[in-house]
Amino acid sequence: MRPHYPIATHRLDNGLRVVVSTDHSVPTVAVNLWVGVGSRHERPGRTGLAHLFEHLMFQGSEHVAEGEHFAALLAQGAQLNATTWVDRTNYFEVVPTGALELALWLEADRQGRLLPALTQENLDNQRDVVKEEKRQRYDNVPYGTAYAELTALVFPDGHPYHHTTIGSMDDLDAASLTDVRDFYSAHYRPDNTVVTLVGDVEPDDGFALVARYFDELTNPAVRPDDVLADPLPPMTDPGRFERTADVPSDRLYLGFRLPVGGTHDFVRSDLSFDVLAGLATSRLYRRLVRRDQLVTHVSRNAGARVDGTSMGALIVDLTDGVQISQVEDAVGDELLRLASEPPTDSELAAVVADVERWWLQSLAQPGERADVISGSTLLYDDPEHLNTYLDEVAKVTAEDIAKSAATHLDPASAAAVVYRKEAK
Amino acid sequence: MVQPRPTVPPASPWGFPLATEHRLSNGIRVLLYNRPGQHITSTRLLVPTPLAVEPRELEGVATMVARTMDEGTRSHSADEMAELFELSGIAYGAGYGARGLTLETDATASRSAQGWALITECLSEPEFPEQEVGRHVRQRLAEIEHEAASPETRATKEWAATFYDQRSRAARPAAGTTDTVSRISSQDCARFHAQWVRPEGATVVVAGELDQTQTLRDLDATLGSWKVDGRAPQDDSPAAIVADGPARVRFVHRPGAVQTELYLGTFGPDRTVEGGWAPYPVLSFAVGGSPNARLDAVLREEKGYTYGFRAGFRPRDVGGTFIVSGSVRSDVTVEATRLTLQILQDARKGFTAEETRAATDYIGKTAPARYATADAVADEALMLESVGLGTEFVSSYLSQLAGLTPGDLDAAWARWADEPPTIVLVGDADAHADGIRALGIGEFEVVG
Repeated sequence: MRPHYPIATHRLDNGLRVVVSTDHSVPTVAVNLWVGVGSRHERPGRTGLAHLFEHLMFQGSEHVAEGEHFAALLAQGAQLNATTWVDRTNYFEVVPTGALELALWLEADRQGRLLPALTQENLDNQRDVVKEEKRQRYDNVPYGTAYAELTALVFPDGHPYHHTTIGSMDDLDAASLTDVRDFYSAHYRPDNTVVTLVGDVEPDDGFALVARYFDELTNPAVRPDDVLADPLPPMTDPGRFERTADVPSDRLYLGFRLPVGGTHDFVRSDLSFDVLAGLATSRLYRRLVRRDQLVTHVSRNAGARVDGTSMGALIVDLTDGVQISQVEDAVGDELLRLASEPPTDSELAAVVADVERWWLQSLAQPGERADVISGSTLLYDDPEHLNTYLDEVAKVTAEDIAKSAATHLDPASAAAVVYRKEAK
Repeated sequence: MVQPRPTVPPASPWGFPLATEHRLSNGIRVLLYNRPGQHITSTRLLVPTPLAVEPRELEGVATMVARTMDEGTRSHSADEMAELFELSGIAYGAGYGARGLTLETDATASRSAQGWALITECLSEPEFPEQEVGRHVRQRLAEIEHEAASPETRATKEWAATFYDQRSRAARPAAGTTDTVSRISSQDCARFHAQWVRPEGATVVVAGELDQTQTLRDLDATLGSWKVDGRAPQDDSPAAIVADGPARVRFVHRPGAVQTELYLGTFGPDRTVEGGWAPYPVLSFAVGGSPNARLDAVLREEKGYTYGFRAGFRPRDVGGTFIVSGSVRSDVTVEATRLTLQILQDARKGFTAEETRAATDYIGKTAPARYATADAVADEALMLESVGLGTEFVSSYLSQLAGLTPGDLDAAWARWADEPPTIVLVGDADAHADGIRALGIGEFEVVG
């Protein structure tokens, strides 16, 4: 089955792109903004700035007091937050229909008029909060830094994706008010932003409301260069990082360079990860978890990125007493086998059925639907992606997947991060 | 020019979607929530046998039954079952909570009936092959190690072991410990299943875009055919008795930890509490539900000690808890603990009209968005069913919100504020145990 969500698009004179997808089934509107700035835009010595900046967007703007953005929307029954990733920062809330205008007014104030409210005190406080976020999510949990270590192997030093979004403690400490102001002026611009409304609003009304609050926002004269990198070839001498640590079991991460997002090639490589490790019937799960029981858990992670090259990872937790090399060999066998033995009809059917179900289930949430629309519009100029993605998936053949595995999932091109359990 | 700040009109009243209620031929109760426009149909089934019936030495067997019912049946091998689910894109899950066994499927509408046939097979003819049970036992043993390594899960486990009387099931992990799980065999799973997993008392909730007649016909042909001879034994093992005595503090030592996890809990109300349930989600929000709530206003936004603290009343079927949790930078462990207790103490002085209005508005006005999808409706319905309530409970407490005054919040808070807390810290005890002990906040012990 295919979704047919209505999509209406509009562009303000200042370049802001607006998408409205009407759905009157619930008396709410999801308001979702994607700004084309993420950790890939950070300069050396200032990693973590995009994310720290996202926190500052909740600390008040010219007409909104500190803490008021959250307070005013929560009191109207909004669910809201923001996140930062390598390519973008998103800001979002689902509000009762009557609070749509308030949400747009609050968003426009911080998207266009943040700097008058920015203070050293706010910066210092949110820097502390972000450092605790880093400790809580990365430094104080087992394997917490493994993904950053893997990323640094997959993307060479100097590449925009070499460092992670949370940044380093030293760089967070070094961020100054001037850095923050410059960052805002460079990236927070209407012509670098998409606003999506999903829910209880008609397109023309939605466009008019967005125009009322965002029309006056202007673009700073100088737009920063954003020349995208060329694709990186598969690694010929992939890096390896090993450590012994206080972790509950040995764990192996394998990292791969994948095709840039927004392409058929990326979809094929994404599905090849599913055939390997996305399901209980996937090849690695069947062999390593069910049959040989060398590992207790296997998972996959492939995410589209815009700057030339995406990244995929396989993650396995080893059964106690099993050697890392034995598991690496077995995974390697399966990667090579996928290149030479395309998925069977039922393997492919299971993967396609799974994608169909989770895609429809996530789109059922208006907030998620709005996020998908903003993302595909900002990064790939494709607001209809939510309606067409399943067609694209259905076109992928078994041979496509084998070919993709042969190109991108050669075990000789896999970066590895190994965590060994400390002897006690 | 900058537009003036818009005003917000009152939101329209909202009620939880209404169910139609039916019975299958084997007695299973059916609740159908028709949700037009939903592409996915969500099914939740509850077999209400409390976790507390597990044999003490085999705790975790109920979870193991839930995890292996689909790993081979009389008709299909484990691999075949996985294929049958996945070829139809049916997401299947099963678990065992305090109130019983739950099975769930999410599938496109046209494939739901296939999912019901498959869960009927799991329920009625599981084989519990030794190879599969053995694998799941080893996976659970690895999972226990992972849980112990997570500061938050470690704190939760220590808290339950301290807060609940040792006689009660809630004092120990629902999915069992290393000792008990190591003993579980395929025969144990088969025995538990035969004794306790039966259609009597079971409820199935289906939410999605439904044709009622067809749905009932399909359910009756599948789940309605599940029959078990004989009756389940009687069992009244204690589920959740709170340990007597004073406030207790347990410091779980993590040498060199860069943060300390703080987990504090007291006895609290269930949904049938005198005075109504409505004040409690409101208090949860005002104390620990947002960056502006009392805890984060100080610990996060003023002091920068934490990424965020949460607090909330968590009802069980009888009685409940009030839990506060969060993690702080290691060097402020003592000060953050003191401040947390101070903030809770200060709540006795009363909640303001502004706090009351903001929190009641939040709880009331978020409801339409919280229950916008079929899976959210089905989850809520099954959870309430497990404690003997229907979803009219949601509409009823939401309608009580509008009338709540600061005095109502104060009275609800006061009812539980004298309950002695159990406090667990997971962090560097060498550095901070003395400081915590010196706060004099309860009987103190460092644990490994």
